[in-house]
Amino acid sequence: MVVLAILLPILFGVLLLLGAPRALGVLGALASFALNLALFLAQRGGESFAVSLPLLPGAGVYWAFALDGLSALFFLTVGLTVLLGALVARVEGRFLGLALLMEGLLLGLFSAQDLVVFYLFFEAALIPALLMLLFYGGEGRVRAIYTFLLFTLVGSLPMLAAILAVKALGGSPTFLLKDLLAHPVRGEAALWVFLGFALAFAIKTPLFPVHAWLPLFHRENHPSGLADAMGTLYKVGVFAFFRYAIPLAPEGFAELQGLLLFLAALSAVYGAWVAFSAKDFKTLLAYAGVSHMGVAALGVFSGTPEGALGGLYLLAASGVYTGGLFLLAGRLYERLHTLEIGRYRGLSHSAPGLAALALFLFLAMVGLPGLAGFPGELMTLLGAYKASPWLAGFAFLSVIASAAYALTAFQKTFWEEEGRQVADLGGEEWPFALLAVLALVLLGVFPGFFLQGLRPLAEAFARILGGGA
Amino acid sequence: MTLLVLAGFSVVLTLLGFFVSVPAFKRLTILGLSLGLFALLLTWGRAEAFGPYQVDGVSRAFTLLALLGALWTVGLVRTRRFEFYLLVLYAATGMHLLASTKNLVLMLVALEALSLPLYALATWRRGAGLEAALKYFLLGALAAAFFLYGTALFYGATGSLLAGTPGEGPLYALALALLLVGLGFKVALAPFHFWTPDVYQGSPTPVVLFMATGVKAAAFAALLRVVAPGAGDALALLVALSVLIGNLAALSQKEAKRLLAYSSIAHAGYMALALYTGNAQALGFYLLTYVLATGLAFAVLSEVSPDQVPLERLKGLFHKDPLLGLSLFVAALSLLGLPPLAGFWGKYLVFTEAAKAGQWGLLVLALLTSAVSAYYYLGLALMVFQKGEAEAAPRPLARNVALLVALFLLLLGLFPGTVLPALAAG
Repeated sequence: MVVLAILLPILFGVLLLLGAPRALGVLGALASFALNLALFLAQRGGESFAVSLPLLPGAGVYWAFALDGLSALFFLTVGLTVLLGALVARVEGRFLGLALLMEGLLLGLFSAQDLVVFYLFFEAALIPALLMLLFYGGEGRVRAIYTFLLFTLVGSLPMLAAILAVKALGGSPTFLLKDLLAHPVRGEAALWVFLGFALAFAIKTPLFPVHAWLPLFHRENHPSGLADAMGTLYKVGVFAFFRYAIPLAPEGFAELQGLLLFLAALSAVYGAWVAFSAKDFKTLLAYAGVSHMGVAALGVFSGTPEGALGGLYLLAASGVYTGGLFLLAGRLYERLHTLEIGRYRGLSHSAPGLAALALFLFLAMVGLPGLAGFPGELMTLLGAYKASPWLAGFAFLSVIASAAYALTAFQKTFWEEEGRQVADLGGEEWPFALLAVLALVLLGVFPGFFLQGLRPLAEAFARILGGGA
Repeated sequence: MTLLVLAGFSVVLTLLGFFVSVPAFKRLTILGLSLGLFALLLTWGRAEAFGPYQVDGVSRAFTLLALLGALWTVGLVRTRRFEFYLLVLYAATGMHLLASTKNLVLMLVALEALSLPLYALATWRRGAGLEAALKYFLLGALAAAFFLYGTALFYGATGSLLAGTPGEGPLYALALALLLVGLGFKVALAPFHFWTPDVYQGSPTPVVLFMATGVKAAAFAALLRVVAPGAGDALALLVALSVLIGNLAALSQKEAKRLLAYSSIAHAGYMALALYTGNAQALGFYLLTYVLATGLAFAVLSEVSPDQVPLERLKGLFHKDPLLGLSLFVAALSLLGLPPLAGFWGKYLVFTEAAKAGQWGLLVLALLTSAVSAYYYLGLALMVFQKGEAEAAPRPLARNVALLVALFLLLLGLFPGTVLPALAAG
């Protein structure tokens, strides 16, 4: 079933790339979401639907996939975000095909149970993102691609070395996650192995000093926002820290924990700071993403079960609201042909529905209790407080700052007097709006339901680090 | 049997060449190479021996690659003289022989049998090609001389002409070193790489394709037999030099064939790393992916222009001919080693072997230089999508083959396990 869930969007993606009509893509996104939802509901703790086929016989590499509480949650939100994008982004079929292709690769990435297979999907998911930028990007796209790829490829190579080292030094017979976990790397080598992973994942998170590829990536992407929404989903660093880097080399993590916590808190505040002064929507959202991922990373780096749960929940939920906001920005661009915040003004007079939707998404991002962003932020900060009260306090500034930049942007766009005339929500935007609002409320009100499968994983994670409940 | 087919066709076609029209001759050459390939597959898994000529797993796998390169070259080239095809056929025969013997003297004969036709092929275009060919010839002759001295010393040290005979003492070490130098020239390992960029740039593109695929395959088979058992640190040094020099020099190249020439030095370094760890399977797989991807890149370049191809001229290739553009894109990414393309598994296997052998220094160096290579491969891959007026007049056949190979690179990347057992025979 997991394999089906991975292959379904890939199949639809390929069909669309070969020239199938766009409607088929919407159907594919819907089917995929329905399947992911069913899988999520059917998932009951542990590893369900495990599959394992030899990939490289003799070398210990397996096509191994399984659904656990963590991957099930990500399956759900990835499927949802892609569906939102398919509903609302006005792009041609092939573009949507690339998005579906990427969805399949991301699902593979989240459910992989073999380190090499994970790496495979991790790298392969670059290609659709690259092609989206290449074919549909703006004028400066070549430079953006260069920056993006150099950062990520350079980051991946130490990771490849770390993957090889984990098996060679730990003495595991295969690259299967459970075998590797049974043979973690100890001693001085653990630090180097962890560093190898950490560099790659910090780039994908993105953490502060290595986030430089991100703003350029978003600025040059197609204004529809679909590529950006997919880019939001590709911030898999926090997930990978939780599932691979830290459990496989806990001693290495222990040595660097202080530094990582500091960098995460710094990212959170720095991202919020830049977002506050951003002139256009995409820059604002891109840096808001940096800030949120900093908070999420803080949770995982805290090494506590609450922190890890909160960080992962934030990662999953942010895909929905940040992705939704990127898509919304795409609709605004279509109406007014600009992304500059200063040039909107007073849209709520002529488009109250649009304004309400935007407010919903913004408030979810800010972390209003009852909406998707809140449970994650709360748990993260609780966990971070246990690890380092000072840094938690420092990072908390970003939450306040996020309220400031989000509400300022909202005010400039939708309130203030002189209203520009724009069309209100219409056509395909209604299902988008309803689905997004419903998802944000559900994620906000019933976090326990979505986290139940994840809790044992987070506790096991904390146990590896010697703490835990 | 493979040898009989190839050699037989070579001789018969030499005579026929004067009577048969060129297009028919081309078809006959293709028939000969295909029959050779067929004979190879027919006897797969069975050992054949005839004196010093011994066909085993290594010989089959590497001959297969060499013949693929030869077929591709013949298919691509546009020439009105039958000698071209004949020379390729002769060279292919030499390659098979080189891959199928342990006797050093026979190896030398085979080496010359494959080199002489290539010297001639390199001059195919007069003018610019002549200088390149002269360089190739002089250095090649020097390499043969090194190989000959090495053979003599090897005999002196071990009393045997069979490669892989264990020995000891300074004489033995010197013999191995000389043999390594001789073969190192052929596969363009640094520091014996100086001919590569000039020759690649100056020679006609289909010939370069042949040099980069066939010659490497055959010479690596020989290296595997001769050097791998006892080379040790000397080989490690060559690995380090090759990956460094190849990748760093490729960074500043403005001409596509020169760029690929330097990158081929780097790839020779990665393959030598597999050699160093003594794993024929990893080497074979790497070579397979390399032959396919490099062949694909040169095939696309030869459709763009038979002469030199400054990178600028590739701009807009995708818009002019999407299939060719995509093929070059895939080839470059596979050479870079980006999953899910086959090139990734080649690198992966080699690096795994290095990790298993505990060669952390070489492994880190290989990874770092691999990261450097990302820069120029991306430049090449992205060039085709930029705005510009590329020239290309591809024939349908060339385009279909390119597409087929590109797809194969993808499939091989998804299911690398399928071909590995076949390469394990060595």
